[in-house]
Amino acid sequence: MKRWIVPLALVLAALIWTGTVAAAYRAVRLFETTPGEAATAPSKWPSKSAIRRADGEWSLVMLVHPRCSCSRASVQELQAVLEKSPRSVRTHVLVYRPSDFAPGWEQTDVVDSAKRLRRANVIIDENGREADLFGGFTSGQTFLYDGGGKLRFAGGITSLRGHAGLNSGRTDLIDIVNARAESGDHPVFGCAISSREKKETR
Amino acid sequence: MSAVAAVTNPGVAARAAELRDAQMLERRAKVDKMFALLLVVQYLAGIGAALFVSPYAWQGKERVLHMHVWVAILAGAGFALLPVLLAFLRPGKPLTRHVIAASQMLSSALLIHLSGGRIETHFHVFGSLAFLAFYLDWKVIITATVVVAADHFARGIFWPESVYGVANPEWWRFLEHAGWVVFEDIFLIWACIFSAREFGTIAVRQAEVEYLSEQEQLKSAALEMALAEIQPATA
Repeated sequence: MKRWIVPLALVLAALIWTGTVAAAYRAVRLFETTPGEAATAPSKWPSKSAIRRADGEWSLVMLVHPRCSCSRASVQELQAVLEKSPRSVRTHVLVYRPSDFAPGWEQTDVVDSAKRLRRANVIIDENGREADLFGGFTSGQTFLYDGGGKLRFAGGITSLRGHAGLNSGRTDLIDIVNARAESGDHPVFGCAISSREKKETR
Repeated sequence: MSAVAAVTNPGVAARAAELRDAQMLERRAKVDKMFALLLVVQYLAGIGAALFVSPYAWQGKERVLHMHVWVAILAGAGFALLPVLLAFLRPGKPLTRHVIAASQMLSSALLIHLSGGRIETHFHVFGSLAFLAFYLDWKVIITATVVVAADHFARGIFWPESVYGVANPEWWRFLEHAGWVVFEDIFLIWACIFSAREFGTIAVRQAEVEYLSEQEQLKSAALEMALAEIQPATA
């Protein structure tokens, strides 16, 4: 073997190593900190929604794509919100499911953990119909409507994509539901609920 | 003072130093190979974890390979390439083990990220530090610690949620995390220095045994020569 081959291979590997460190940090940061598309939520509870809302009762709605791994963190955060919310708040987790997919496609660990939430009602949202009515595009999107059906919070409740932990989305929501704040919003991190073609037709 | 430096016979001291260095080189070259294997296993485990935890990102019905899978494949390979090459092309050299230490810590950061920041995956950092102590070179522990602290410091400034879970941690929070690493470091560094000294002591004993054996052989040879000279005269 020629004498210069080994040093050259090591120099190349060193360059790749240094470049990888910089590129990996940049790529991961970009991925984790880039929020999904924010909701265009109606200011009043959508009248066409199949979800029943009783007058005077607050309602919390979270949209979930069952195959979105980042939404594990959103469901985990929802648990933290429910623990600090009045028991009277009705909570609905809407699980996206395309009607042309095989039954059971939506049965994932994300949905299982949503089903284990206390005081949460898990509803299958065929083709994202309810998500459309609520104006949500991204898994993890959460809405809070007060007793009069007025929108008080729209946004995500995680700090980054797939990261559980204390964040202003979670604390704002807890403050609003406990009458310590009026309204709020927060970026939402997760997979898109709607496919590209559907989004374009909206 | 090291056991080798305390030896008064310069010949024994030189031989003890030679033995110690050779044994240390052999040990460190073996540890290099062990880490090369570990880095490859971690690389594959990282890809496996990414495929298991988050295989796809979704857009409605459409799916694409998740960013974590790409990061596991590309960044994992990038982190492992240089240390694995060094382990086989420059085994036992100081540069090799320092690059391995840095890469091992970067692998920890990658695995923590791929597991979604699970607290349990942080144990990888502490396990890795213990493995790095096999080199019996305390400077390697320092390199690893600096890489962990730099990772936390940089992310704490530009991207704090990813490492502390909150958006506005105190500026000194990285010191708290690094403090737990330093807690382990103190004992590992002590163990490295102590064990390296023991290597020296063993080398001195071996050199002394060799020296005494040589002296005995010289005495025997001299005695045989003297006997050979006496025997013809008496015959």
